[in-house]
Amino acid sequence: MARTPGDDAPSQALDPGDIERIRQVLIRAVQRHCPPALAAQREDLVQMALVRLVERVRREGTRVQGTSYLWRVAYTVVIDEIRRHRRQQRQSERTTDGEGGTPGPEARSEILDCLARLQERRRTAVTLFLQGFRTVEVATALGWTEKQAENLVYRGLSDLRGCLDGEDG
Amino acid sequence: MTQPPDDLERRFRAALGDTGGSGCPPADTYWAAAAGELPLERLQALVDHGARCAHCAEAWRILAEVRREAAAPEAAVGAPRPLATRPALRKRTALLPVGLSALAALAFWLVLRPGPPPPPGVERGNGADAVRAESSVSQPAREIVLRWSEVPDATSYNVTVLTPDLVVLHRAIGVTARELRLPEALGQHAGTRVLWNVDAVLRDGRTVASPTFELQLR
Repeated sequence: MARTPGDDAPSQALDPGDIERIRQVLIRAVQRHCPPALAAQREDLVQMALVRLVERVRREGTRVQGTSYLWRVAYTVVIDEIRRHRRQQRQSERTTDGEGGTPGPEARSEILDCLARLQERRRTAVTLFLQGFRTVEVATALGWTEKQAENLVYRGLSDLRGCLDGEDG
Repeated sequence: MTQPPDDLERRFRAALGDTGGSGCPPADTYWAAAAGELPLERLQALVDHGARCAHCAEAWRILAEVRREAAAPEAAVGAPRPLATRPALRKRTALLPVGLSALAALAFWLVLRPGPPPPPGVERGNGADAVRAESSVSQPAREIVLRWSEVPDATSYNVTVLTPDLVVLHRAIGVTARELRLPEALGQHAGTRVLWNVDAVLRDGRTVASPTFELQLR
């Protein structure tokens, strides 16, 4: 809802500055973390996600709940958009190839085997770390202190390397 | 301790399989997990799924980046993670005296150096009174002219025109006048309503942002 000149009613509009910033962050994130074929369509993906974000904000009044909630919704809609895009791709591949396109069995991997052998808490911490989380973010997710998270990541990485080097996991 | 975490990350990512998206939890669950809103057991199950599924691993990585940006807008997102240097921990104790000397030198320099100029700021929202729309709120689509009030000390203005869905239709940077005539073609494709705002760029680099104005096209 935009403010027209002379209208003093409190505005609950999305700030175009916020939207532009979210757009830039999402485009960068998709470019950095998605495979090249998908990343090439980052502008379209993010644009679709932002349209859905705006629709959702209008419907739910999300903006009233603050900017951090806006980021949460933005993240959610862009992941949904990526998934929708992949489903469509899969669908069209099936149609083109006349095959099921069912993904094959997961490849066995030394690093995943070693990861699976880690003590549970260390495994969770290390996996998050390998997914790109910093130790302070691991701590937030797990409800631990940063020191605890740092120790668990450090020890977990050490165990993982030991396992990969052929020591007992 | 021969492999840096970057190498482990690379190997980890390369090992993840394509589960075809089956069993992937809703995206909001990831956000809830990162925010510490999930019980540990559920979080562990989620993390374990992400350790088998390339698509969810991708969602985790995007999550980490987006949350970082959301939490600390001014922070350098690409900054290296502290733990990436962790394998050097044992060596670090041997380097402690050198580090302390460097720290002392840095502190000395910090005390003596001239203060940095304050970064240019954006006074978003504060421009509600400072920048007013002076053009008509309803204009012919083929002949749109946006006008706004003068902002003292402004050297130029940046104008953004958007659709109601916040798609940017037109952006003019460094406008020195207090009016902007929009291209004729824009009005033909813009529908019946557009939004616009103005950022006044002050002499010292700060920016005063206007509210978003609405314009009916006819």
